[in-house]
Amino acid sequence: MNLQAVNANVSGVPFFRFLSFEIREIGELHAQAEMTFAMRHIGNPVMEYYHGGIIASLMEATCAIAVRPDFSEFPAKPINLTVDYLRPAVKGPLFAHALVTRKGKRIASVSANAWQTDREKPVAEGLYHFLLV
Amino acid sequence: MPDIEKTKMEQIAQIWNARRSGLITEMALKIEEVSKEGVLVRMPFNPDFCVDRNQTLLHGSILTALLDSVFGLANLIAIEGISAMATLDLRVDYLRAAQSRADVIVRAHCFRATRHICFNSGSIWFDQHEDEEIARGTASFALTRGEIGLYDALLKEEGRT
Repeated sequence: MNLQAVNANVSGVPFFRFLSFEIREIGELHAQAEMTFAMRHIGNPVMEYYHGGIIASLMEATCAIAVRPDFSEFPAKPINLTVDYLRPAVKGPLFAHALVTRKGKRIASVSANAWQTDREKPVAEGLYHFLLV
Repeated sequence: MPDIEKTKMEQIAQIWNARRSGLITEMALKIEEVSKEGVLVRMPFNPDFCVDRNQTLLHGSILTALLDSVFGLANLIAIEGISAMATLDLRVDYLRAAQSRADVIVRAHCFRATRHICFNSGSIWFDQHEDEEIARGTASFALTRGEIGLYDALLKEEGRT
């Protein structure tokens, strides 16, 4: 599936528009996204850090697209997630990469990470499960 | 509950409700109950948080964001002298499809706090459907304790002291 078609699909999802991100890379079992910073993404108004929930949301969205980029009605169904927060994410672009580690008939396991200026310094890592039926 | 504690909780709730920007403002959260045993918060339905074109199905991760936010509030109320806190990890189970236009209710509490770390758990359901939980989560936070607690800093910022 090409990037343009994936992003057209992304823009059809109200919550994805709220997050305001674009898919930059898409492959058989991986996806990469870039999110534009907005004030509505802030969790700590004093320091202007991203809300942890927004970071988890971007990683979840990227994972769902990696699992099923050609979704029709709504993205792949999430079962659960675990997120580790490693550093604060500051005002500016936020990137997420998702890698499908196992895709079975019913369940997919996906790992994700998020970073800002340096990919070697992730702000968060996550593990997500999706139901494919 | 002593009056001073009650006043403090009401003030925390008021300040939290009156935030001017950020995701918590976007979610339009309203605190319904607050005590050291936990908090109960309402999030009105918002079509922007949906995944489907008909806008009746909430995206799971808005529930994750909701839990993260409300854990923070529960800690602010339950733990004395926190000057900063950061989410260390967060685990969420999505128990049902979140399909409804009803308000979302979340209950969260801090079940253990040490000097440096605290542990939270919480549960989410649609208003009037407490028996049909839609998500459950646990988290841990790293705490920084200081001379000036976050509560006092917030008061100062609001010009109340």
